[in-house]
Formats: sequence, structure tokens, C-alpha cells
Amino acid sequence: MKSLIAGGLMVVLLAPGVFSQELTANDIIQKVNDQFNTETSYGKSKMTIVTTSGQKRTFVQESWSKDRGEKNLVRYLEPRRVKDQAVLMLNHADDIWMFFPRTQRVRKLATHAKKQKMQGSDFSYEDMGSGDAFVDDFTSKRLEDEQKEEQDCYKLELTRKQESGSSYSRLIMWIIKENFLPVVIDYYDDKDPTYLLKTMVASDFREIDGIPTSMKVVMFNQNDNTQTEMELLEVKYNITLSDAMFTERSLKK
Amino acid sequence: MLILVFLISGSLAAQEKIEIFGYFESQYMGTKVKSDYYQLFSNKLRLDLKSDLTENITFAANFDYITYHGKKEWNILDFLSPDIISQVPPGMESFYILPFSNRTFLDNAYFKLSLKHFDLTVGKQQISLGTGYVWNPMDVFNIKELVDPTYEQPGHNAIRLDVPVGNAYTITALYSPDDTWKNSAKLIQFKGRISHFDYSLVAIEKVWRFHDYTRFDYEKMNFLELPEQRRLLGASTAGELLGMGVWAEFAYNWMNLTENFYELVIGTDYTFDFQTYFMVEYYRNTLGKTDHKQYTLNDWMRVFAAEQKAISQDQVFVLIQHPVSDLINLGLQSIYSISDQSLALVPVLNYSFSENIDIMAYLNLNFGKEGTVFSKNMGNGGMLRARIYF
Repeated sequence: MKSLIAGGLMVVLLAPGVFSQELTANDIIQKVNDQFNTETSYGKSKMTIVTTSGQKRTFVQESWSKDRGEKNLVRYLEPRRVKDQAVLMLNHADDIWMFFPRTQRVRKLATHAKKQKMQGSDFSYEDMGSGDAFVDDFTSKRLEDEQKEEQDCYKLELTRKQESGSSYSRLIMWIIKENFLPVVIDYYDDKDPTYLLKTMVASDFREIDGIPTSMKVVMFNQNDNTQTEMELLEVKYNITLSDAMFTERSLKK
Repeated sequence: MLILVFLISGSLAAQEKIEIFGYFESQYMGTKVKSDYYQLFSNKLRLDLKSDLTENITFAANFDYITYHGKKEWNILDFLSPDIISQVPPGMESFYILPFSNRTFLDNAYFKLSLKHFDLTVGKQQISLGTGYVWNPMDVFNIKELVDPTYEQPGHNAIRLDVPVGNAYTITALYSPDDTWKNSAKLIQFKGRISHFDYSLVAIEKVWRFHDYTRFDYEKMNFLELPEQRRLLGASTAGELLGMGVWAEFAYNWMNLTENFYELVIGTDYTFDFQTYFMVEYYRNTLGKTDHKQYTLNDWMRVFAAEQKAISQDQVFVLIQHPVSDLINLGLQSIYSISDQSLALVPVLNYSFSENIDIMAYLNLNFGKEGTVFSKNMGNGGMLRARIYF
């Protein structure tokens, strides 16, 4: 009976337009957060960087996530130059280890490393890290709803909390009302909250294992005039993953 | 030998689940020594093989083939001060030659058995110990290149057992056999995690094969070897303090014949919001000397021969790196000997030419006075390296 009530509540919350006016910014961002952080997940993705000179660089990686994004492991498959390089992030990316197969060394990185570009792309490790960042590092304010990328969206302004170590002072986020997936996120400069650094645009929305998923994300870097596309080739949710997978031992495999 | 390597790899590739990869590296190195300019070119082909033989057993190997061209014999005395050269025994002047000979060798070849409760690795394998970036007091197996510390290290013949204890702790036992049990290296290490800090404790026993570079062993046609038992207790940690990365590594060495000594590394790093990366690492080695006037021919030769990590007692390494574009990283390394107050500056450029081609170039500029570790006599020069991965 309890589950039926809970299920019923879920339907009401997800029904577009019904109670949308009553949803606060915190409600919305919490739903986005919950959507991102499934219990476990596996993904294989292709990252294509379009450089300033117009050249393309392609990376293929596998990633595993557990405990609603608290544990993450990323391993590169291609190109050869970075094959088997791996990154382990625990405690919502507060602890990061990187494995370099050529030297067989594991290096513990401090959280400042999250600011670094991932393989020279327009995504930083922070962009790829824990989905809890939206809730933990920012306070949310609801702005007037808007159409974005032909979708009915909630529009939120996320302002960095004083104690947060995020490298963005502010985010503007458009969230699809129908599935609570962000369709566009504007990232603003660390020091100047009016200076737009990057814009992320999501597309190709599909339901995988009952969970709405954007299969393609493009990050446009206004500052460097570059862009990086991240395409999900394969994704699975709520699979069985052991804790042993998220250890230094597993990182080296 | 190379033909054999290709035959083996070809036949292995024909089987399932064999991965063949590696890289080709072409390198130019030039150094101005006195009034001359020495040039050395090298080509290196590294062929890696990897196969999952069963669900639990992995086999991996690397073959290296290196050719040298240009100045293939460097006279070490060209880099030393007259005071040091005067210590060379009469008639031995021609022995201080550093040769660069073409080489083909099996760098690593091992299998790894991974079961639920342990990993067992048997064969020639890389051994990396410690948290230091440039110097690793705990690592008695390798000495990193000062200006190129992330270059891969050679494999060592060993049997290694890693036993995880829970998800945060690992006990490692390693045995690297030599001619007798007594002369073989033995290691035991405990690694763990407390809060946001990793730490490790290590105990090692290994014979240190020093040489006396003022005496020649005509039977072995080499400088006289002075093997000595070395026992080491070490500890390392890495974590975060006030938003900055911090690490430390310490090792105390009990020597059988000569003086005991210790090594210490303390480092910190930070990435600024504008993507500039900054690192400082301090290194103390009490085997090193506190003044350049104390350096001997043996000290210099042991450093050149990679028997000893440093000639001066206290050194600092500083690295500043910035991605000037999405493909180019510019950096400046500086290495300062606090003991003899000499400085080397190494501007570095890394260029990602294409997906699988990296280009690296650096200049090596020494500013110390004669006789110091980074003296102008060491020669100012540079290196250009292109590496193609396949």
C-alpha cells in the first residue's frame, strides 16, 4: 500500500504543468540531482573535442558509478595514447586517484585537480564529477519558466555557496519539465558572475531502464571558441557493482 | 631479435584476445659542452603485448629496440671541474666514458594472477614506490630523471603478492631474486587510508651495488664494485590540506659498512582557476654533501651512473605549467640546489600534434658556478621528442 502511495505521489510530481507552479527551486534541483544519481550505473561514451584549429580528437571511455554517485571509476579505452589510464573518485570526488599505465603509478590528486580540463576537453573533472554538486555547492533560485531547445523548461539560477570550492560563481539551468533533465546549463566565471564561460546543451533524450537519459551533451567554450561532444554509446542503470570495484586495486586493472 | 619479436607478436595476434600496442619515439638531444656542441639522436620502438589468458590470469610484456646516432660516447670528464678531474688516477682517464649502444631488450614480461583475496605478479615488472614526483626515498629500485620524472621506469625481476584488506588497505610482499637469498631484495609494504590521506609504511632489504670509481677491477673489466647491505624503513603520505595537494615521503637507511642516512621529500601542488598548475617539492638526502667543495669523483660518478639520487644534500624542484591552448602546454621547471646554491631552469613545451602523436621539447639551462651540481660546465642544451602511439 505504501508503495502505491509513493508511486502515486511520483506520478503527480512528474506530471507536467499540474503542480509545477508550486515546485520550489530546491524541489526542482533535488529532482535533477536524484535523476543523475542512480544507485549504480555503467556507461560507455565517446568524447569528441573540436579544437581551436578545427581538428577533432576522439576519446572512448567506460565509467562505473555506485552509491548514487558517491563512487566513480573512469577508464579510457581510446586513443592508444591514453588507453588504460583510469580515474577513481570517491566521496563525491573529494578523493581522486589517477592511474598511469605506462609508469604503473597511482597518484592521489587534491580536489583542486577537478578544475583541470579532462584530456584537454571543454569538460573539467568537476563537470564530470558528482551530481550532488548542484545541491551541495549552490543555492537555487527559480526564474520565470522558458522554452529552450524547443522544450518547456524550468529556469533556475544557481549561486555558489560561500563555503563551496566550485570554480563557477553561478549557473543558469534550463530543466525540461517533462523529465527533469537539464537541457542547457550556462557556466559563469569564478570571479565575474556576469562572464559566461561555457554552455552545455543536452539532446537525444531517451528512457533507459525507466530512467530519462540525455544521450548526447555538447559543451561550448565561449572563452576558447572550442567545443566538446560527449555521446553515450551504452548505458545501464542499477546494475550489481561491488565496492571492490572502486579501489586502487581495481584502478590498476 | 627484432624479427623474433615481430614473429612472436604476429603469431600471438593471430590468436584471440591478444592486444598489441606500443609507441615509436624519435628523440634529438643537443648539449653545448665547452666550445663544442654534442648531438645524440635516438629512435625507440616499444612493443607491448597484453593478453587475458583466463578470467583471472593476465600476461603482459614489452620489448624495446633503441638505436643511437651521432655522438655515441660521452666523456664524463668533459662535464667535471678541474678539481674533480685531478682525482682521476693516472692511466684511467679513458675509463670515464658513457656509451650509448643500440639495445634490444625485454623490459617487462610477467603474468598476474588475480583472485578474490590476492594478486600475484611473477616476472619482470615495473615497481613504483612512494608519493614523490621527482624523488622517491622509498624507491630503492629506480631513480627518476630530474628533468623528465614521468618517463617510464625499467622492469625488475620479481615475485609480488598484493593482499587487499577490506577496500582501503593493502599489504604487499615482494621478492626480487639475485644470486643468493641474502643478496635478493625483500620488501613488505602496508598501504591504507585515513580520512582524505593515503599513507604507506615500507620495510626493504636490498644490496646496494655501489662502485668505487677510482679503482678498476681488471677481472670484471669494470670499476670496483662495493656491494653493501641496505635496510630501509620508510613512510609516505598524500592528501589535501587547505585546498592544496600535499605529500611527504621519508626513508631511513641502515647501511652495513658505510654511514646510515635518511631521505625526505615534502611536496605541495595547486591548480588555479585560470588552469595554471603549480608544484613545489623539497628533497633532502643526508648522503649528499652540503657544499660543492666536498664533492668527490665518486659522488659525481654515482649520480651519473644512477646509483645515487643526488649529490647535494638539499634540493627544491618547482614546476609551473599552463595550457596555452587546447593542444599546447607550456611549463617551467626549476631545480635549485640549496646546498651549493646552483640552479637549473628547464622550459618545457608539450604539444598534442594529433590524437596519437605527442611532441615534447625542453631546454636545459644551468646557472651554477663551476663545481656545483647545476654548473654551466654541465652544458646548456635541449631535447626534442616525438612519440607516435599505435
